[in-house]
Amino acid sequence: MAKAKRVFTYVFLSAAAIVSIFPFLWMIVSATNRSIDVTQGKLLPGPYLFENLTKAFDTIDIVPALLNSAKISITTTLLAMLISSLAGYGFEIFRSRAKDVVFSILLLSMMIPFAALMVPLYRMFGGISQTMPFIGIDTMSSVILPTVVTAFLIFFFRQSTKMFPKDMLEAGRIDGLSELGVFFRIYVPTMKTTYAAAAIITFMSSWNNYLWPLVVLQSPEKRTIPLLISNLGSSYSPDYGVIMTVILIATLPTALVFFLMQKHFVAGMTGSVK
Amino acid sequence: MKKMIAALLAGMLMLTACGANDNAGTGTGNAGGNAGNGGAASKITVWAWDPNFNIKTMNLAKEAYAAENQNVQIDIIENAQNDIVQKLNTGLSSGTTKGLPNIVLIEDYRAQSFLQAYPDMFHPLTGSFKTEDFADYKLGPTSFNGEQYGLPFDSGVTGVYVRTDYLEQAGYSVEDMQDITWDQYIEIGKAVKEKTGKDWLSLDPNDLGILRVMIQSAGAWYLKEDGKTADLAGNAALKEAFETYKKMMDANIVKIHSDWSQFVANYNSGAAASVPTGNWFTPSITAAADQAGKWAIVPLPKLTNNPNSVHASNLGGSSWYVLNVDGKEEAAKFLAATLGSNVDLYQKLVTEIGAIGTYKPAAEGEAYKAASEFFGGQEIVQDFARWTAEIPNVNYGMHTYAIEDILIVEMQNYLNGKAIDQVLADAQKQADSQIK
Amino acid sequence: MNIKARQSAISWSFIAIAVVMICVFYFYPMIQALMMSFQSGTGTNLSFTGFDNYVRLLSDSTFKTALTNTFIYLIVQVPIMIVLAMFISVLLNDKNLKLKGFFRTAIFLPAVTSLVAYSVIFKYLFGPDGLINLMLLKLHVISAPIQWITDPFWAKVTIIIAITWRWTGYNMIFYLSALQNIDNSIYEAARIDGASAFRQFTSITVPLLKPIILFTSITSTIGTLQLFDEVMNITKGGPGNATMTLSQYIYNLSFKYTPDFGYAATVSYAIVILIVIFSILQFKLAGDKNG
Repeated sequence: MAKAKRVFTYVFLSAAAIVSIFPFLWMIVSATNRSIDVTQGKLLPGPYLFENLTKAFDTIDIVPALLNSAKISITTTLLAMLISSLAGYGFEIFRSRAKDVVFSILLLSMMIPFAALMVPLYRMFGGISQTMPFIGIDTMSSVILPTVVTAFLIFFFRQSTKMFPKDMLEAGRIDGLSELGVFFRIYVPTMKTTYAAAAIITFMSSWNNYLWPLVVLQSPEKRTIPLLISNLGSSYSPDYGVIMTVILIATLPTALVFFLMQKHFVAGMTGSVK
Repeated sequence: MKKMIAALLAGMLMLTACGANDNAGTGTGNAGGNAGNGGAASKITVWAWDPNFNIKTMNLAKEAYAAENQNVQIDIIENAQNDIVQKLNTGLSSGTTKGLPNIVLIEDYRAQSFLQAYPDMFHPLTGSFKTEDFADYKLGPTSFNGEQYGLPFDSGVTGVYVRTDYLEQAGYSVEDMQDITWDQYIEIGKAVKEKTGKDWLSLDPNDLGILRVMIQSAGAWYLKEDGKTADLAGNAALKEAFETYKKMMDANIVKIHSDWSQFVANYNSGAAASVPTGNWFTPSITAAADQAGKWAIVPLPKLTNNPNSVHASNLGGSSWYVLNVDGKEEAAKFLAATLGSNVDLYQKLVTEIGAIGTYKPAAEGEAYKAASEFFGGQEIVQDFARWTAEIPNVNYGMHTYAIEDILIVEMQNYLNGKAIDQVLADAQKQADSQIK
Repeated sequence: MNIKARQSAISWSFIAIAVVMICVFYFYPMIQALMMSFQSGTGTNLSFTGFDNYVRLLSDSTFKTALTNTFIYLIVQVPIMIVLAMFISVLLNDKNLKLKGFFRTAIFLPAVTSLVAYSVIFKYLFGPDGLINLMLLKLHVISAPIQWITDPFWAKVTIIIAITWRWTGYNMIFYLSALQNIDNSIYEAARIDGASAFRQFTSITVPLLKPIILFTSITSTIGTLQLFDEVMNITKGGPGNATMTLSQYIYNLSFKYTPDFGYAATVSYAIVILIVIFSILQFKLAGDKNG
């Protein structure tokens, strides 16, 4: 019985893995072919990877874009982790009627499509540019600020906190820790997997963010990777081999971040809970 | 406690570091909108799409201008066309001019929308160049309220690219495709499909460009002369265009594609034998080097039953506009001196880019008379330039894309059996309620 | 300050920064959008028109089509994806399973793959001459190629497949992280008591995961109601309007057609109202006391 379950598990997971990876593999294959091969649907790898790479680095400013994306994503993730977890924790641990009402109102902010917020946000930053140009339009801060705190993350941290053993916190208070001390010394280390998940999600959404950076960034040297890729695909005769190569390079950091963080999902971390 | 302060400080530090970096950059960033004072070194920013066509054009224009005007710095920024439309709309509607360019390329179908939605945001170019030097049909879309706002740029003049080898196999020649009607075009297509198994053309159900081509050839459009009222129900040209489209689909000579790259691939792979489209498609055809000598370009067919229809029409095409931000006079001067009057520049555009402008005097130049080996020695530029002069002038008006989306839905209904008069009547009703 | 007031101040200070930032960057623009929804006109020529826009919604056939499509996606796709994600994460939560890291990364990869890349890939795979049709034809499952992208019914199916493919791994992460927080000894005790794997799943795992299930259910609902990327890039809302979503309609109203930001804002608020209703429903169903 256990064996059957085991076999089924491996077969199912393998099928899921293949379905999930296949497009990614196709992307890698395409990066080794020429544009005309890609449009004709070639499935086998070719010898053009080096050529595509050189073309990519020569004609497009990949490195600055990668750096821009990295700076923005890392800063956003760090700030988001801090501010959102403090809030999620606060809403759950220090529950009160008033706070619950505030929380429900905050959730509303998730419910409006970004396209509707874009124009007013842009106008707001335009106004900011008059008095504080260093965080106004066409600055990295203007990209980061609206995306740091989301009700989504606060919601996630709050829900995760619900499963947290509250008596651990009491123990901390009895030991003489301040509330912040309890948060940093007891809560954060225990919630490693939650932070790992949140970090991955935030980094990824920041890295792939398209509409807002598109609209608020003007100088080409400030461009992020998604903007770069969009440009590549837009000419009347795009070079698909190069495009796939650049996309590959652009996807690597998020894959890397995930790979680094995912070891925190190791089964049986019962040790730290005790 | 210490950890939190440390984390917060790290965060703030990064934010200010980003800010500091940007300060160094803000200098140049700001100047995007301001061109400085009078004769001092000034800066012009240009937004356009497509590195191989429009951007290259601007680079050539910049070179031509730099010779005489050392103290003007021209920054050409490339963005995808849809991105430009988004950024422009957001920027123009926000009331902030920071970050807006001086010169921007806008597709002719959209131009009126911009000019009318954001009055006061465009700088009139009236008088800075001779409008009579440009093809007639470009002047309507680029002007508003009696003022000329756009400098006409590329010609979207259409022709039919056709595989001569498939044609011959079907028993036809290039001569048989000169000055024909759409019905005749379809007949030839059926023969080609029968004898070679190749589809005659490739269409995207989400893009009714071919309808636009057909109706403009008859001097009609989705909108009436005023550019605001939908003209669908009583539009004879549109009705015939719909019927022709259905005939093509019913004759089973159409290969469906849903994506630009598939469109190009269908021709590069030899799966389809002809394509009625704009001359900007040439580089996509010539990309398949193994097909050299097997293509020719013939004139556009005309609508069978429409007396106004001619063998010329337009698909796409854009023009350059100057925004009403600091630096507008410099920008206008730049455009006028290069694309507004420089015949040599236009020759370069043809030889180095394959871009055919709408500047009439340029057609006298050498490059316009060159023969193309790929197209069997045909003087394609000369042909395109000649057809450009015949394109009927229509007012694209404000709502082309909105109406087309309505027509796309109705076309599906029509292909599924709904009666044509009902189709157009329903479309008219929807358009009237949606367009305010 | 007495102890109570001090404690209260501290508790509010935890949430203070977050609340302020959301007010500035979300609520301020939202209120502006709300005001715009009562205005109409092209570009900057907006003028006050009261409830006209809202009335217009009722007779707007494009809006109705987009609404129907969005609902179809919601009702079909969200349950499938959540069950799938939960199932996979439970399978992966096994201590003795080999290649866990590989499976995890593989299934999460779609969420990481850039949007541009996977929409191009899906367009090829599901094109009339694409791999999927080739395989199905070879296996004699179908006799003529399916028009995955240009047929009104199949296009919707393609979109649902695309969304599920992309976001299942993403939701799996949330479940995995939550499962890690469940003490193994609970399962041990249950097994000693003779509970089958299935029983353990329904009586232990699901109830303990309730907060996260609610979370993914609500966020997936919101995500699907706001669906934009896949539809814009794979089918462009086509054929005709067959796959158009509300967000895409808002985009078209703001940028593709002659911009009418006022009406676009109205459609946005239609979405907000829908989401609010659905979220309240889900909260109530979960019996959660968040309200």
